[in-house]
Amino acid sequence: MSYHEIIYFIILLIPLITGVVRYKKLTIPFKILTFSVIVALFWEILSEIFALRYNNNAFISHLQGVSGYIFYSIVFFYLFKSSLTKKAVLISVILVIIFSIINALFIQPYDQVFPTNVYLITNAFGVIFSLLIFKQMLQYPLEVNIIKQSIFWFNTAILLFSATMFLNMGFTNYYAKHKWGMDIIFYIWFCSDCLLNILISISLLTDNKENSIQYG
Amino acid sequence: MGSEDIRFIVLSATMLFAVITGFIIYFVVLYRNRQLKNKKEQEKREATFRQELLKTQLEIQEQTLENISKEIHDNITQVLSFVKLSLGTIGNTLEPDKKAKVNESRELISQSINDLRDLSKSLSFEHIAALGLAKTIEIEAERINKSGLLKVYFLTDGQVFSIGEQQELVLFRILQEALNNSLKHSQAKHFKISLQYHHDLLNLSLEDDGVGFEPELLNSKSGSGLRNMENRAALIGGKATIESAPGEGCKIRITLNSFKQLYTDGGPHPNSFS
Repeated sequence: MSYHEIIYFIILLIPLITGVVRYKKLTIPFKILTFSVIVALFWEILSEIFALRYNNNAFISHLQGVSGYIFYSIVFFYLFKSSLTKKAVLISVILVIIFSIINALFIQPYDQVFPTNVYLITNAFGVIFSLLIFKQMLQYPLEVNIIKQSIFWFNTAILLFSATMFLNMGFTNYYAKHKWGMDIIFYIWFCSDCLLNILISISLLTDNKENSIQYG
Repeated sequence: MGSEDIRFIVLSATMLFAVITGFIIYFVVLYRNRQLKNKKEQEKREATFRQELLKTQLEIQEQTLENISKEIHDNITQVLSFVKLSLGTIGNTLEPDKKAKVNESRELISQSINDLRDLSKSLSFEHIAALGLAKTIEIEAERINKSGLLKVYFLTDGQVFSIGEQQELVLFRILQEALNNSLKHSQAKHFKISLQYHHDLLNLSLEDDGVGFEPELLNSKSGSGLRNMENRAALIGGKATIESAPGEGCKIRITLNSFKQLYTDGGPHPNSFS
């Protein structure tokens, strides 16, 4: 394991521990978010095993991309107030699943290539949904300080991560096509992942079903 | 991959990151402004609601007092007058010693009738509206002085002018509440009423020499009557200040700017509060 991977695993443990310790105090979407962190850790471990044993973890990446999106979509589903937006989230999940299957079978083979196309789409949805949540927050402002609102931290995490990863995936596709080295892209990816997990940890720390903010 | 490409990627990522960070900071500021705006609107709604509630309470109170006043005037005093007349008729047929007792009873009834008429007038909105604030206070002071329970002093200063029927009624009800408090709780011997008229200002000062109370009482549940005075004053665009300390009596001061009244006269009945 590389130095970066060790740091990444340690950082991944922070939201996991936070979520598990505070599980009973969390609202439904943040309980789901805790599950998503557990599943993400599971995929990361499996990905390492595949990389070590078969020198290829593309298959795991395909599954990880879809499962990650499903979890985040469920969280968004609970955070949205509008039934129309909730429907849009569910439709996006179906579209992403269908596209992932087509992509894995015909465009970016599941046993050979990392599914950048899937990540491009899911991150685009991530940016859209987080912006919609920000809009919703402005429409229904709470009296609670924004710093103490879990929805704000989760949304910030998704916006920063999705926007950065969208750019990153675009570069990845372009660089892979030209067979150029991608160290810098992986480094940005690593930083975005770390930031995502730190911000998600804050959201899990600030969420509390006993206070007035209730989602779901 | 050349250093140019690395520079481009780093620059793009940094710019994107900076834009998003800027957006989030902007959002936080915007959100904070919305929170403040919402808070102000909510406070305004609550204040309006409290005012509406108080207006309704005052309307109901006035209606009740009006009914009691009419009942005293039209029924009880009439019955007592009839009893007085009957006693007079009976007294003429009795022996002198019994006649004296009957006459004594007739005098007591006469006194009761007068007291009840005074009480009826002090409760009636129409009476207050017809006489004006200064005259009504003067009559009320005389009424209390006659009872001997409290020595009331009434002073006016400046050229008397009308500030509107509703406003005068509210001030009079505050005065009655203060008088009632003094009689019931303060063990006061003297009560000073001062009505000062200036160009556009009216000051009503009420002062007793009773036992007083802790200023904290104003914020407690049992101080609701005193807070109610402040609310009533606010309802007509005035400001009430209540000062007291144990052993130092109580001083209530109401200042009303006649040009800044919230509710102008709308009609002869208290329903015109709304």
